[in-house]
Amino acid sequence: MSLDSPPPPAGPPPAGPQVGADEWVARQARRREYLPSWLGHAQRQAERVGWWPRLALVGLAAAALPLIGLGGFQLQVGIDALVIALLAVGLNITVGWTGLLDLGYVAFFGCGAYGFALVSSGQVGANGIHLPSYLSIPLVMLATAALGVLVGLPSRRLVGDYLAIITLFFGEAFVEFTNNVAPATLGGPNGIVGIDPISVFGYQITSNTGYYLLLVIVLVVTMAVLRLLEFSRTGRAWRAVREDPLAAGSMTIPVDRVKLMAFAFGAAVAALAGTIFAAQQISVFPTDFDTPILILIYAGLILGGAGSIAGAATGALLIMVIYDGLLRSPTDSGYLFYGLILLTLLVKLRPWRRLGLVLAATVALGFAVHAIATAISARAVAGSLSSTGWIGSALHDWVIVPANATVAGNWGFVALVCLLIALVQAGSRTRTILLPPTLYLAAFVWETRLSVEPAVTRQLMIGAILIVMMNARPQGLLGQRRVEAIT
Amino acid sequence: MGFFFQELVNGITTGALYALVALGFSMVYGVLKLLNFAHGDLYMIGAYVGFFVIQWFGGPSALSISVPLLLLIMFVLAGGLVGGLGVAIERFAYRPLRDAPRIAPLITAIGISFFLENAALLLFGAQFRVYNTADFISLSSGITIGSVTIDSVQIMVLVLGLLLTVGLRELVNRTKLGKQMRAVAADREAAEMMGINVNFTISATFFLGSALAGVAGVMGGLLFNQVTPTIGFIVGLKAFTAAVVGGIGSLPGAMLGGLLIGVAESMITGYISSTYTNLFVFALLIVVMLVRPSGLLGRAQLQKV
Amino acid sequence: MKSSVIVAAAAVGALAVAGCGGSSSSSGGGSSASGTTKSCVASVGMEGPLTGPVAVLGQEQLHFAQLAVAKDDLANKTRITIVQGDTQLNPAQATTVTQQLTSNSKVVAVVGPAGSQEVEAIGPLMARAGMPFISGSATAAALTTGKYPTFFRTVSNDSVQGPQDAHYIINNLHPKALMIVDDQEAYSTGLVAAMMPIFKAAGIKVDHESVSQKLTDFSSLVAKITPATTVVVLPWQVASNAQQFGRNIAQEHKKAVIFGTDGLFSPGTFSINGSYVSSFGPDITAIPADAAIAAAAKAKYGNFGTFGPPVFAAQHVIDEAIASVCKSGQTPSRANVLAAIKNTNEATTILGQPIKFTSSGDVVNGKFFLFKIDSTGKYNLIPG
Repeated sequence: MSLDSPPPPAGPPPAGPQVGADEWVARQARRREYLPSWLGHAQRQAERVGWWPRLALVGLAAAALPLIGLGGFQLQVGIDALVIALLAVGLNITVGWTGLLDLGYVAFFGCGAYGFALVSSGQVGANGIHLPSYLSIPLVMLATAALGVLVGLPSRRLVGDYLAIITLFFGEAFVEFTNNVAPATLGGPNGIVGIDPISVFGYQITSNTGYYLLLVIVLVVTMAVLRLLEFSRTGRAWRAVREDPLAAGSMTIPVDRVKLMAFAFGAAVAALAGTIFAAQQISVFPTDFDTPILILIYAGLILGGAGSIAGAATGALLIMVIYDGLLRSPTDSGYLFYGLILLTLLVKLRPWRRLGLVLAATVALGFAVHAIATAISARAVAGSLSSTGWIGSALHDWVIVPANATVAGNWGFVALVCLLIALVQAGSRTRTILLPPTLYLAAFVWETRLSVEPAVTRQLMIGAILIVMMNARPQGLLGQRRVEAIT
Repeated sequence: MGFFFQELVNGITTGALYALVALGFSMVYGVLKLLNFAHGDLYMIGAYVGFFVIQWFGGPSALSISVPLLLLIMFVLAGGLVGGLGVAIERFAYRPLRDAPRIAPLITAIGISFFLENAALLLFGAQFRVYNTADFISLSSGITIGSVTIDSVQIMVLVLGLLLTVGLRELVNRTKLGKQMRAVAADREAAEMMGINVNFTISATFFLGSALAGVAGVMGGLLFNQVTPTIGFIVGLKAFTAAVVGGIGSLPGAMLGGLLIGVAESMITGYISSTYTNLFVFALLIVVMLVRPSGLLGRAQLQKV
Repeated sequence: MKSSVIVAAAAVGALAVAGCGGSSSSSGGGSSASGTTKSCVASVGMEGPLTGPVAVLGQEQLHFAQLAVAKDDLANKTRITIVQGDTQLNPAQATTVTQQLTSNSKVVAVVGPAGSQEVEAIGPLMARAGMPFISGSATAAALTTGKYPTFFRTVSNDSVQGPQDAHYIINNLHPKALMIVDDQEAYSTGLVAAMMPIFKAAGIKVDHESVSQKLTDFSSLVAKITPATTVVVLPWQVASNAQQFGRNIAQEHKKAVIFGTDGLFSPGTFSINGSYVSSFGPDITAIPADAAIAAAAKAKYGNFGTFGPPVFAAQHVIDEAIASVCKSGQTPSRANVLAAIKNTNEATTILGQPIKFTSSGDVVNGKFFLFKIDSTGKYNLIPG
């Protein structure tokens, strides 16, 4: 029962129940859950390549992206996404592996950023402190790791959601602290501006391309280090503590120390992300480290699959590309909206006959409604579509947009939500009948209301995407179901 | 001394509000072990329902019905509608995740919170909706003892909060539904095997918990006057805190936690400084949690080996 | 299992669309302007907290920008499209939005952002892109020291307003003690920092408090007002918070008078009898020339405060700049619009005062208006 034994080799499972392992649990633990349909095939093929070559390939591909001409905005979205991915990979240590719900994680990110800002700007003292990056970054990471140990101390006594609330206090306190305490040093709500760039081997990184590449390298290296850690003595101890602290303790694992180590490692990764963030932004402000960022990190980690390094990174990148990139632009968010609906229908509606029927009915319904509305009153079609381009011209004679589009759109929105709930509850036949009006209503609401308010729609869409994705795959994209002991 | 009692009254009133939201939070947690981060947004919807009821009856300064009747309609409607919304959310979003990893519904809850908040922004607009309570309940209609003033809205919040808590306690302890709730909270699978309709029980719990949040929303509107799509966030956070500090899953604990936070905030604002209120409240609560790791009234969990 | 297929496919779809992300986003508005005559087409970015805790502020700004565009398009025969950028009052998000706007070659100018922190965060980016940006609410004095050459604002800065208000309070209200409450935003703390030394020098006992903008319960703060405290200074952004503060004062039978700044200027929302409000703008509902705008805003979006009109003015400055570029036969670009904005010389604006920018981007001779609210909630101008 030595902890030093290597991870069990993949291959055909030994026949019969393993000694000491509950047969069912053992079978569950070995079962791999792949993504559905052709994505699953792709995943299986990818797994044949092996973890390390895959990481290298994806890393190289990501690094090559600026060469094929990522514009200023795409590059910025890439940077934002990589920072969140780095944070999610770090959070995976405490939440995914050790099973400690740390809701104050964003504060470590803030500490890293503020720490770097203080020692690399003119903020402190007459001339400021301008430490070189090779000193300041490790220093800040160490200091934040120490803080992580401090914050983790209550985990010796508190478990589960009681620990979560303490860490949440810490996260909130960080924002309050930077906002109110020592305004001369921390800048209060005005933050710290004029932060030095990071320099690597004497080369100062000032461009966004530089920070993008730096982040790709840092993320890949961090993932590699964590992969080594995952199957080390410490990594296995973390997972043992997650599964059952009591059993782990009786196996002579120093539970408290292992938990504190998880906090320290997580904090150090967050601090690393913070230093790069601060240097790239050239400024830090308390509101940069508030709850919305925490929510994004958690969404990325859990959507990707808590407990999996690749999952955490993938989930975070995916959510950020959608939220920060696509949904910010009304045109792209229109493609996403109609595209998601069509894709859902294509995949979900079988046999093809049924799909054809629903689509034909929807198209017919639209033209009928448009004709009737035009016949009744010119006001009912007096408004103009908000979609432009080919979507706009395709829908022109199909969707009605009344003169008072706002009110009609609001009622349509309420009706759409009710219809969607009904659709989920309904049986197969009712569903087929309900689908065409629902689809038409969706297009109507989008054209009258949602695409007029891109900022609000962005938040609505991300909310809906989170709900649907978690429902579809509760263990996350690349996560694996595991047996949980509910305490 | 008057100052102390004034701050105490203010703190207890706000605390009663937090407690009411925390009660619902704690009930839901009890049966599903789910941190329902969308709970604060139900409070917000309740506040909007109250606002629209006032508008429906002619607006605050030209009410077409008597004030007690208005209040009754507001509370019943807000409770009913928000309760129904809670049931729909559970059915639509949480039920499919009942056997999922514990952390998954957390993200669903965040998604719902995003959705509700921004649906309200889309439908009702961002501008402040104002109850103007003073127009129909006079500011001078309360009690004044020495230098301490308790106005009638505060009295109403306190009385109603107390009544609802006691009622809920009776419901959980005395009725058949309460028994079922406790059974589901203790062990869902076993409860199902004993013939308890688990789905119905959970729906009922969601209805009650959400209805409490809706009623609290109306109270918040009457007390603080303003309603926006984002008022739910802070209240939800306070309720979460209150529920955990009191001992999550424990109803008297949630009540106590809410009052503790309300009074602590008000005393720290009064005697130290409003600038550091939150920092001191956090510090105080951390100390409480370190002394009582399972919350004030929570039971220490026995570990099964 | 089936539903997971959808999500997976959807995710891939999303990624596929991501490939053609920002580049296609720029083809958004305006592109359908293939009119018969050569029309003056341009896009203007709008940065503000359109969602999140202070959405009320950003949405008001957005609505007034839209009103200004609608009005100026008619008058100047231009076709201006607003590209919305939601910052949630968060500097990091403002950076991303700014990258989005500067990458979009159609965008020739930006209205916003709302907060001074955001200006600090995006100033260098805007300067590098040569993009003019005009804020209607960023008031920190440090912004117009010349470090951001493309920055302008239609409101005066804290270093002017703070001392002016403090002297008025000392000389006319004669308080022995006062309470000053900031709302933890840069705007508020900036004004407080400008006022505090003046109060201290005048020997007034000052109780400095601070509450978050998100807080709506002030009863425990109001309980701290002593009988000697006759003035409460509220340099806040949210008028209805101050209204609630005033109600709490009445409820606890305190006697202090509220002295508020810009954000409190909101007839209909803030109406506590006897309060003072110092504002960079006049009461636009009382200016005959502005009555139509005020009525349109009220009809379309409900009650408004002081955040809209300065943004209306900012948008108007940009609209006029674009129109003048077109008139001279050029196609609007960032450079020529910037030059036109620098030469802005509006004799009358919605703010009731001429707008002309200093070389560092401030309004020349920004005036302040002081109002006292009477028992009917009406704002009466105090001459001075």
